[in-house]
Amino acid sequence: MTLKRLSALVLAFLMLAGLVSIGAAEEVVELRVLNYLDMASPNSAEETQVIWDAFEEAHPNIKLVIQNEFNEPFHQATEAYAAAGNLPDVMYVWPSGRSTTLHTKHLLKDLTPLIERDGLKDFYIPLATDPTQQVSGYVAMLSNGVTATNAFFINMEVLKDAGLEPAQSYSELVAQVPILAEKGYDTVLMANQDTWVMQSCLFSLIAGRFGGEGWEQKILNGEAKFTDPEFVAALNFVKQIYDDKVINPTTLAVGYGEGPGLFATNTAAYYIDGDWRAGAFITDASTGEALISPERQENFKITVFPDIDVEGVKLNKSNTAILATGYAINAALEDGSAKLEAAWELVKWLEGKEVLTYRLSTGGLGSPSRTDIDYASLDLEPLQVAIANLGKEYDKATVVIDGVFEGPVYTPLNDGLQAIGLGSLTPEQVAQNVQDAFDAWKAAK
Amino acid sequence: MTTRTEKRLSYAVLVLPALIIYLSVVAFPTIFSILLSLTNYNGGLIFGNPDIHFVGLKSYIWMFTEPMGNFYQALGNNLLIVAVSVFGQIPLGFGLAYILSRRLIGRGNKLFQTMIYLPNVISSIIIGVLFNAIIYGRNSVLMEVKRLFNPSAVFTLNPNPMVPVLVVILWMFTGFYMIIFLANLQRIDPAIIEAARIDGAKEFRILWHITLPALSGVIVTTAILAISGSLKSFDLIYAMTNGGPAGKTRVLSLFMYESAFRGSPNYPLANAISTVMVLISIVLIIVVQRLGKTFGTKED
Repeated sequence: MTLKRLSALVLAFLMLAGLVSIGAAEEVVELRVLNYLDMASPNSAEETQVIWDAFEEAHPNIKLVIQNEFNEPFHQATEAYAAAGNLPDVMYVWPSGRSTTLHTKHLLKDLTPLIERDGLKDFYIPLATDPTQQVSGYVAMLSNGVTATNAFFINMEVLKDAGLEPAQSYSELVAQVPILAEKGYDTVLMANQDTWVMQSCLFSLIAGRFGGEGWEQKILNGEAKFTDPEFVAALNFVKQIYDDKVINPTTLAVGYGEGPGLFATNTAAYYIDGDWRAGAFITDASTGEALISPERQENFKITVFPDIDVEGVKLNKSNTAILATGYAINAALEDGSAKLEAAWELVKWLEGKEVLTYRLSTGGLGSPSRTDIDYASLDLEPLQVAIANLGKEYDKATVVIDGVFEGPVYTPLNDGLQAIGLGSLTPEQVAQNVQDAFDAWKAAK
Repeated sequence: MTTRTEKRLSYAVLVLPALIIYLSVVAFPTIFSILLSLTNYNGGLIFGNPDIHFVGLKSYIWMFTEPMGNFYQALGNNLLIVAVSVFGQIPLGFGLAYILSRRLIGRGNKLFQTMIYLPNVISSIIIGVLFNAIIYGRNSVLMEVKRLFNPSAVFTLNPNPMVPVLVVILWMFTGFYMIIFLANLQRIDPAIIEAARIDGAKEFRILWHITLPALSGVIVTTAILAISGSLKSFDLIYAMTNGGPAGKTRVLSLFMYESAFRGSPNYPLANAISTVMVLISIVLIIVVQRLGKTFGTKED
């Protein structure tokens, strides 16, 4: 009788435990995700299926509610969510720049304990887990790689037609201007309508070459000013570039989306953009079409802006590099909660070997943050190979200005660089404006 | 319940929905915007954020004194648009409406009317994109036409980039005012005009002594619409020039948008700009109403 009762008790306990476990297994965690979908990238349409659906299939207990945004609407949505205290659980972020609010207001989770717990540090390049690389001062996002903001695309078809070789120095570039113009080509094309492009993709490099490594720290520490001769010389060089017609001032009317199309149709011999732009030229897997076909890509090269052979330059063969974008978790998610674990699982997937390898293959990524990617297994197009090798073209990296200074400081610089192009402000005036803005920003701090 | 109470209750019931909507979508945002312009809020949580505090008129002072002069550039462009609207669209709209109402052209009255009004039914964004393709860039329609006459023509930046924008604004909205004037011209008793004509009045005298006085109220109304519409103009310019090159076509609403959403957000500055825009609107509308009264309009 006792045994019978005991058996019944054990059976009831097991059934209860079974029910609880079934209940637990069926508990679905819902994650709100704000994702940046680069709609200008030829392979973005495939991304949903390959990345997000695959994650949900592998994690049936995690349901994703994804909001895809692109360009300005993405940043507006982020700021609006931050203002309303209603940030998504997982979101796409920059290490600084446009995501400054998320970082400085500490709205993102510190991922260091999770990275250490799962032993992930060794799988990423040191920069990715370096807290000083993010404005927050801690590892607020797991980055997908490193971005070189100056990629100097060379169109050998145009140069060959003009009987020229790639310029190795600025003076060689200047010498090519009339020859290319004679043939109806521009020398260097930039999509300068948006103010950030000149600052991020060229001027930061110029400032680094004139100011030398660590120039920005001297300003931040109060040892130097934007009105010092080095910075003014860098601004003067921008004026010289426009005056020499190396970059035509009419590029101020070229929208960011137009640049790749114009370059692919042989408008100019050279094109300046960031390393991420190589992805715009490669084949779209869904249509089989490419802005520059793989065969034609053999006629294109990618390097860094030529040596600046002008008085006052401290270094050449340099580029500007910054930690690339990544994914972060809302700081409001409680430690140890199922939601945090689900969010971390998603971030690990998004910055994991499979997804980064996929992004590398589609041109969505230049230099991945993972150290265990097997490049040999990838079938890359010539421009993808060229962008992957861009790191070999320079031996020093200086800072990207909008990655170091905050908006109130770099905004007058961005506007000023355009004003120099139009001739409405002198380099000295722009330098003074930036210094005034910096002083005001510092005082407010 | 007394009749008076019933009356009050019914008034309240009728007014309340509109009042709630007005308070929530107009009054509250306006007051909140003014308050935000006086704080140091620069992103993150608004309510319950201990870092937000009042900084007085700091954003206003910055707006009026910042070295780039962005505010004055944008304000100047807005005033140009106001000028084109008030002194371009309204007279032109009136003139076209007068021609149509007096049937001064022979056949094709309806076609003429439709053609002038057509831009109003097209989205501003589409018109902006369209004219961007027509006017700007080395491969624009304008450049193609120029190359027909001069194959070596090269694209250069327009030293007055606001001019094409103003021309498009003039073309786009004139039809709107034409329709308003046309509707009101048709309300003038034809017998009065006929009587004037029998008395020997010529077309100009009819216009000056009968038509214009009868429409003075409408002219004030259209002027108010033109001013308020001009100050909030955003979509067309955003699509057509995006404020460029180098902010030369930036207007106040675009400046406000850029301050709030481009680069690092500066919400107090953006809210200060919007407050000043409201104030400028109010001042200009009061001026127009005063002028209307001076010239004998019946509008209050």
